[in-house]
Amino acid sequence: MTDSPVAPQMWEPAARVAGAAEQIAAPSLTYWQDVRQRLWRNRTAMAGLVFIILLVIAAIFGPMVSPHTYYDQDLKLANIPPAFQLYEVTDGSGETTRFFFNSGNLNIYEVTDDGRIAGLIRGKKDLIKKQTLFTFGDVEVTLHTPTQTLTRGDGVVLAPGQWQWNMSNVFGTDQLGRDVLARQLYGARISLTVAFVATLVNFFIGVFYGGISGYLGGRIDTLMMRIVEVIATIPLTLYVILIMVVFNSGFFSVIIAIGSVYWVDMARIVRGQILTLKQQDYVAAARTMGASTGRILTRHLLPNSIGPILVALTMLIPSAIFIESFMSFIGLGVTPPEASWGTLTSEAVETLRAYPYQMFFPAAAISLTMFAFNFLGDGLRDALDPRLRT
Amino acid sequence: MTAPLLSVSDLRTSFFTSRGEVQAVRGVSFELRPGEILGIVGESGSGKSITCMSLLGLLKSNGRVIGGSALFEGQDLLTLDDRDLRRLRGDEIGMIFQDPMTSLNPTLTVGEQVIETILRHRRISRAAARQRAIELFELVRIPSAAKRLRSYPHEFSGGMRQRVMIAIALSCDPKLLIADEPTTALDVTIQRQVLALLKELQSRLGMAVILITHDLGVIAETADRVLVMYGGMVMEEAPVRRIFARPSHPYTRGLLASIPDLRDGAHQRLTPIPGSPPDMRHPPAGCPFAPRCTHAMAQCANVLPPVYDVEPGHGSRCWLHHPEAPRVEGVNDRELA
Amino acid sequence: MTGYVMQRLVLMLVTLLAIITLTFFLMHAVPGGPFVSDKMMAPEIQAAINAKYHLDDPVWLQYLNYLKGIASFDLGPSFKYAGMSVNEIIAEGLPTTLKVGVLALICVVSLGVPLGIVAALNRNRWPDTLVMVVATIGVAVPSYVIATVALYLFALRLGWVPTFGLDDWRGYFLPVFALSGFWISFIARLARSSLLETLQQDYMITAKAKGLKPGQILFKHGLRNSLIPVVTVLGPVVANLITGSFVIEQIFALPGIGRHFVLSITNRDYTAIMGITIFYAAVLMVMIFIVDMLYLVLDPRIKYREAR
Repeated sequence: MTDSPVAPQMWEPAARVAGAAEQIAAPSLTYWQDVRQRLWRNRTAMAGLVFIILLVIAAIFGPMVSPHTYYDQDLKLANIPPAFQLYEVTDGSGETTRFFFNSGNLNIYEVTDDGRIAGLIRGKKDLIKKQTLFTFGDVEVTLHTPTQTLTRGDGVVLAPGQWQWNMSNVFGTDQLGRDVLARQLYGARISLTVAFVATLVNFFIGVFYGGISGYLGGRIDTLMMRIVEVIATIPLTLYVILIMVVFNSGFFSVIIAIGSVYWVDMARIVRGQILTLKQQDYVAAARTMGASTGRILTRHLLPNSIGPILVALTMLIPSAIFIESFMSFIGLGVTPPEASWGTLTSEAVETLRAYPYQMFFPAAAISLTMFAFNFLGDGLRDALDPRLRT
Repeated sequence: MTAPLLSVSDLRTSFFTSRGEVQAVRGVSFELRPGEILGIVGESGSGKSITCMSLLGLLKSNGRVIGGSALFEGQDLLTLDDRDLRRLRGDEIGMIFQDPMTSLNPTLTVGEQVIETILRHRRISRAAARQRAIELFELVRIPSAAKRLRSYPHEFSGGMRQRVMIAIALSCDPKLLIADEPTTALDVTIQRQVLALLKELQSRLGMAVILITHDLGVIAETADRVLVMYGGMVMEEAPVRRIFARPSHPYTRGLLASIPDLRDGAHQRLTPIPGSPPDMRHPPAGCPFAPRCTHAMAQCANVLPPVYDVEPGHGSRCWLHHPEAPRVEGVNDRELA
Repeated sequence: MTGYVMQRLVLMLVTLLAIITLTFFLMHAVPGGPFVSDKMMAPEIQAAINAKYHLDDPVWLQYLNYLKGIASFDLGPSFKYAGMSVNEIIAEGLPTTLKVGVLALICVVSLGVPLGIVAALNRNRWPDTLVMVVATIGVAVPSYVIATVALYLFALRLGWVPTFGLDDWRGYFLPVFALSGFWISFIARLARSSLLETLQQDYMITAKAKGLKPGQILFKHGLRNSLIPVVTVLGPVVANLITGSFVIEQIFALPGIGRHFVLSITNRDYTAIMGITIFYAAVLMVMIFIVDMLYLVLDPRIKYREAR
């Protein structure tokens, strides 16, 4: 080894920063800071959260500001699409009428200049010739039903013009002429309320049951968990259906049915958490200092179990939404004229052939909401998982 | 002196994580002769396990060997293609891991886990492989060997599972056995038994062993030669007697001061090494131990020391061995004399 | 071993009894009687019907009789379809439901598991991303939405498959797809995360250190262990295929048990509701039992754990 010369001052003792040796390079974060940071960085989870917040705001305030109600029917304006192609006819006096043709029900509706629906234009039906005659001032327009073509009196075939968004009913109307947007917002209200309340009920039952079982332990715990095991093997959706049959359809029945059935997972999680935490020293410490059972449960055990519970809750909400819509879909959910996403979807299915687009809004709403909650739940679970801490 | 069985030079391994490159091993070199037991000692994170995992190509997917060579019987393990390396693993080179609770597959019988290794490397019938497995179980002293082949790992105690692991590692008479903390997860009494077994098997079968541990006691009992690693580098290398008699590197001295030595009587004081190992994402420019070293000099923090030969076969990576360096008792005071 | 099997069998029977009891008393808790919704009946006819169906017996006697009936696989008469028994209703719908359900179950296992494996082995590369995106859609979009959108697209718009019925073999596509979509996605996600976790295990490194070939490592050591959680959810999968069939059979107008069940709900045919529920529960219990036995084969630790 050749010894390269070293400057003499380099042999001086190194300048010591107090505590430098103890310093750890990465800033240390508390568990919850770490969780928040990781959740914050998870883009899909944040997108889900933002969507849910917007949805809740829309569900609360939407129906208040909407000019329509979810129950007002107008059969003359049934099944109006959210967007349509305009036709224009100018009569002898130079007056132009803008209208659109609804191919689903073969009606013609007048449209104002700003895109609002002015009303149904009545024509004379001729069932033998399979055509309908409409009169605009001195101009006559014939609708030939089988080909769905509009012909002016002078033989010129009318061509559809530009697309126009429906400004009176932004999402169109349903088969009873109710505003789809208003029903959609109201449906969001019902679906979310059912989901949140039912989840909350499940949460309380689950925490209560699991908490008692885990805290008491021993034979009571074994018995309670056997019961849970039996309940867990029962197909729960069937029981929601049976309970709905007993209580009859309706908003509160749905909440009772869903709320009383899905607490099993929650109970298991809470019990498992409590069993592990029971062995922790700080619980023993609290105990020796004379804290009561209730105090230990609420002050020490639950705050520490909150992570997995939170994940279970975020996952339970979309299931509740789904079950509610499922019930409504098979005719056991909320009763008309009330609307939920499930009833809206099943109503749209009835008109699927003629108005397929009516399916779009309820299907999109429920799917996006499910996405949002799933993403948020996945993100939460990842963020809470200590194994992923680096 | 016989030709080395394994000769590692300037091995460098990094892990590429979302938070940057972690330089786990930074230029490790050593040689291993046939039949020799080499102990590698160091704190967790010193790079000792990663060194061995790099040799066998067992790094996690984000880890990569970025330099160096490792000649095993003339073949460079680091450039060998996957197929040839697979043939070596379990055959010429056996490996034992730290935790016998998790390193055996819980859903296969232990017999199957031994037999599949033999069948992979030897062209023999299943019955012959089974016979061999029974012999191996007897070799590692598992009672009623033939019956126990049909058991599952959860039916064994920790010590017994480690014996199974040893049987697997020895199944094809390897020339080299790498034992990565083989006794750390075991009870103290079981540790002794397993170590004694390893040592006995080594002398009986004549294989070379790399024994990775953080326990200097294990080294003292078992190894012929010792590498002391810190911050992904070899800090000191010496025959086992020298390490305990005349440790030269301040880190080694710190390690020795932090364990009780019952021979010294009851009045000694244990001195922990202050601080924690360096962050290997940003390893220090100079000596990795400098921030925790009581003798650290300005030079140490800035320039990485070379390995000085304190004596033939005893190297130490410390500036204190530089001829101009100030004298420190016990480290370099005798070198001048 | 036999102890474990017995234990499972007993648990299965207890659960089934619990379900029967719960169902029976729930249906008897319905305000009024099963014939209340009908138009006014002459009291003597009402009495005759009550006598015929033993409705004027005390509830506990009815319950015992019902249990006796179930013990001999008799679910009793339908209240709405005169002369038809619940057994006949089930027998009529069973072939359809079974065909679609079994096909769906096959799809779930034979598509979900391989997709999950492909995703796990290509972690963070395009096949993984693709599978995960599709699977996330599959998990989030309700089956009836998938069903109606598929119905509109492939049957009404493109005309590739019939809109209803199973007379044509192509008729199976949409119902099976809609029914299994969620679970294919769910199983793919589960298999992926389970395999990823297994690949992290120490014994996988041991297998590698033994020099085993990648194929051996994956199939013998990796898959077997990672399939255990997948097998665990097969019970719930069947439960869900059953409930899923309610809407699917309705949307595609399939004459299966699910459709009969929904019909009996709208008709308030209480014995049919009760009988079909119990039938479903029994099928499910048998399935869960099979899964338990599968589990036993896959994971030797179970025997040990339960025996203690």
